Amino acid sequence: MGMAFFGPALVLLTIFLFVPMVLTLVFSFTDYFALNPGLTHFVGPENYIKIFKDELFVQSFVNTVCFVLIILPCQGAGALVLALLIHKVTHCKKYFKVAFFIPVVMSLAVVSTLWMQIYSPEGILNTLLHHVGIPAQPFIHSARQALPAIAVMSVWQGVGYQMIIFLGGLQAINPGLYEAAEMDHASGWQKFKDITLPELKPLCVFVFITVTIGAFRMIVQPMVMTGGGPSHSTYTMVYNIYETGTVNWEIGLASTMAIVFAIFVMALTVIQSVLTRDKEERHVNKKTKKG
Amino acid sequence: MSFIEFKNINKKYENAERNSVTDFNLAIEEKEFIAFVGPSGCGKSTTLRMVAGFEEITSGDLYIDGKRVNDVAPRDRGIAMVFQNYALYPHMTVEKNIGYGLRNMKVPEAEVQKKVNWAIRILGLEEFRTRKPKNLSGGQRQRVALGRAIVKNQKLFLMDEPLSNLDAKLRVSMRNEISKLHRELGTTTIYVTHDQVEAMTMADRIVIMKDGVVQQAGAPMELYEHPVNKFVAGFIGSPQMNFYPVSVSGKEMKFRDGSKVSLPDPVAARLNGKSGDLIMGIRGEDIKMDRASLEAYSKDMQKCVVENTEVMGNENNLYFTFGGSLTVARVSKYEVKMIGDPVEFVFLPEKMHFFDKDTESAI
Amino acid sequence: MLTKKQKRVNWALTIVLLVLSLFFLFPVAWMLANSFKPDAAITADMNTVAAFIPPMPGGGFFNNYVSILTNTNFLRYMLNTLFYAAILIVCGVVVNGLAGYALAKIRFPFRERWVLLILLLQIVPMETILTIHFLMIAKVGLLNTVLGYILPMIVNPFNIFLFRQVFLNLPDDVYEAAQLDFCSPLKYFFTMVLPMSKTVVATVSVFTFLNVWNDYLWPSLVFTSSNLLTAQIGLNSITSNDNTTMGQTLAVITMVTIPVIIIYSLFSKQIVEGVTSTGSKEG
Repeated sequence: MGMAFFGPALVLLTIFLFVPMVLTLVFSFTDYFALNPGLTHFVGPENYIKIFKDELFVQSFVNTVCFVLIILPCQGAGALVLALLIHKVTHCKKYFKVAFFIPVVMSLAVVSTLWMQIYSPEGILNTLLHHVGIPAQPFIHSARQALPAIAVMSVWQGVGYQMIIFLGGLQAINPGLYEAAEMDHASGWQKFKDITLPELKPLCVFVFITVTIGAFRMIVQPMVMTGGGPSHSTYTMVYNIYETGTVNWEIGLASTMAIVFAIFVMALTVIQSVLTRDKEERHVNKKTKKG
Repeated sequence: MSFIEFKNINKKYENAERNSVTDFNLAIEEKEFIAFVGPSGCGKSTTLRMVAGFEEITSGDLYIDGKRVNDVAPRDRGIAMVFQNYALYPHMTVEKNIGYGLRNMKVPEAEVQKKVNWAIRILGLEEFRTRKPKNLSGGQRQRVALGRAIVKNQKLFLMDEPLSNLDAKLRVSMRNEISKLHRELGTTTIYVTHDQVEAMTMADRIVIMKDGVVQQAGAPMELYEHPVNKFVAGFIGSPQMNFYPVSVSGKEMKFRDGSKVSLPDPVAARLNGKSGDLIMGIRGEDIKMDRASLEAYSKDMQKCVVENTEVMGNENNLYFTFGGSLTVARVSKYEVKMIGDPVEFVFLPEKMHFFDKDTESAI
Repeated sequence: MLTKKQKRVNWALTIVLLVLSLFFLFPVAWMLANSFKPDAAITADMNTVAAFIPPMPGGGFFNNYVSILTNTNFLRYMLNTLFYAAILIVCGVVVNGLAGYALAKIRFPFRERWVLLILLLQIVPMETILTIHFLMIAKVGLLNTVLGYILPMIVNPFNIFLFRQVFLNLPDDVYEAAQLDFCSPLKYFFTMVLPMSKTVVATVSVFTFLNVWNDYLWPSLVFTSSNLLTAQIGLNSITSNDNTTMGQTLAVITMVTIPVIIIYSLFSKQIVEGVTSTGSKEG
């Protein structure tokens, strides 16, 4: 009877997760070209060497890393700061939570379309800059500014999500700890350093890794706003996989890229679980030593 | 054949080292109210759940109404059950909860209504019929659970510690209600409890278990008066029976502290010539302090100092150390003593129980 | 109780947050305000505070909206998406819920292994197998069909796991009582388990809706050009048309955002809980 309940899910899992995963791995060692499947050969690790020699792939990889490098500190630290501030203040808490969270529920396509208007040469942002004496910026129309512009927009959209996670973590901290610290004459900064931060540490690891993974998966924003341009300056790994596979039909090559991409993402997840588990173990050890 | 027969029933959980129930044999007659009682982990609930069909029977045969039911699904065994945590359907009203089984049995709606109304009336749930379980008190929930069991006209009720979540006062009144229901409906009932008072007050027969093994099965007073071993003697009755390691030679019984008590002929005869180290047990109410008893057994009178008292009002428990063991005597309210008071008392020799020192079984 | 100094700090922080929140709301306010204006007015207002203030309601107030709804298939795309979301919510709750229930409460071979596998599946990014999904759907001729769009989206390891965690806490005795009340396992699942777990069903449904409504990549692959498009893809095809004015673009994205804002205002509790729980699971 268990199988009767689990069966439908298992069938779908097999068809749409297990089989595609195996196929991706298998195809990554072939030169499978979907428009001419008859000519498929097993090419061994050749694809893996090829993509790393491919300038475009390397660029898409570098771009992705750049996205991560901008988004990670802004979104991770930003979310933490917002959460700490909101947790601290006593007025308008509810308003703040909603205000920072609204961009999260908006879709990537909507946000991208909206910010295209905001970033446009005669757009509202350039108008505002003009008022403070800064000349008009090309933003997404320049190879130098497009990537940071998209990254800033992504932070604007995503930061509310992690803020809510941090707020949940802050609320879960036992208020007795602060009361005890108060009795021990701890200053505000000491309370933050000795109670808040250590208590939030596992959550910080989780948030920073999920933000990294999120940035790694970047595709819709450049797809809608710049088409990966100008001159491939916002072309990301996933965008490359997508175009190689579904536009150029080079399934073999796309699969290789997908595997490389998956290895990175899964490595991040493993790092996270190791970091947080390590923490727990040490915690347990401490406890047993005390006992 | 009896209504329910357990034949050499064993239960061993996967990966468990020992049997949870070992060689369980019992015959239950129709309309009987049987209580399974014992400390937690004694296998009483497991046995009940084997009757219900929620636990597989590892070996042995179980017959209900002449039919072997080892492989019959719970729903087809003709049973209704009342659970320890009530197990009410949380999103259904009282009426819906009680009528749920009948509706699933495709009983005509008019009939369902009639039966549900009947159950609600006799359980006194009229005001609560449209409430949901979370808006009911523990006692009301237990009534709903009872209602759910009685409407289905099943031939066997199983009750798994149904009163253990109620407070003491409510437990007494629900005890009476369940007994009354049983008298009115006459449905065969197996009632599991860890509380020997419930078992004593409600059951026609008590099955007392320990470590998966039946110790004794019998009517409440039979277990009380003639326990087959020290465990049963200690488990049944409150306060607990007093036990003393003694050595017997001829008609003389010697306690650890050197005190001596002589055994009258009938008691000595019961020992059947056994002598040496034994365990003597006696209930608190058989330790006497009234003038008449003291005079009757004056030569075996003992003296002690009260160390603690439990005042109940109608009667009092006095604690003192005698023969190396803490002793509790149950005396009437006319024999009030204070801590530190000296007392004189005698054992009623004919009420003494003797147990083997090693096997602990009664002699 | 706050001291005087703490009160002052509190006010200062509140003001900092207010300023920050304006930065977060300005783009949204600008979108909403200007979706009611003709392009000339948008450009003209750009220099003043009027950029964030909607025009006076009057004739032509809804011009941008009306022209989008009458000249394009946009309403249809919105309804399509609602329809897909409804199907995926029902199928998702049933399929993932049944699986979660089996993994939580029913004993069957290798159950613990399956749980571990479901847990591991969550770390594989869906983008990895996107190409293969597309290839598979194309090979079986389901491109540009509702079925082709929906099938790969039903099963969701994360939801299976979420259901399992919640169902683990359901009392066993209620199931036993239901068995004695002649309730079959399947009936028990639908009439007892799901109603007893309203919160998680609501959470999964809300997140499924948001996912379907906001999804861009998969529908952009499956649906080429037809009446089947989802709102997001429709939005993109309409706004990338050169004839669409800026005001109309803003009207389209406002309309796409309205349903999620409604869902958010109705279910903000579930959404916040769902988001928080992803964190607390790790933390």
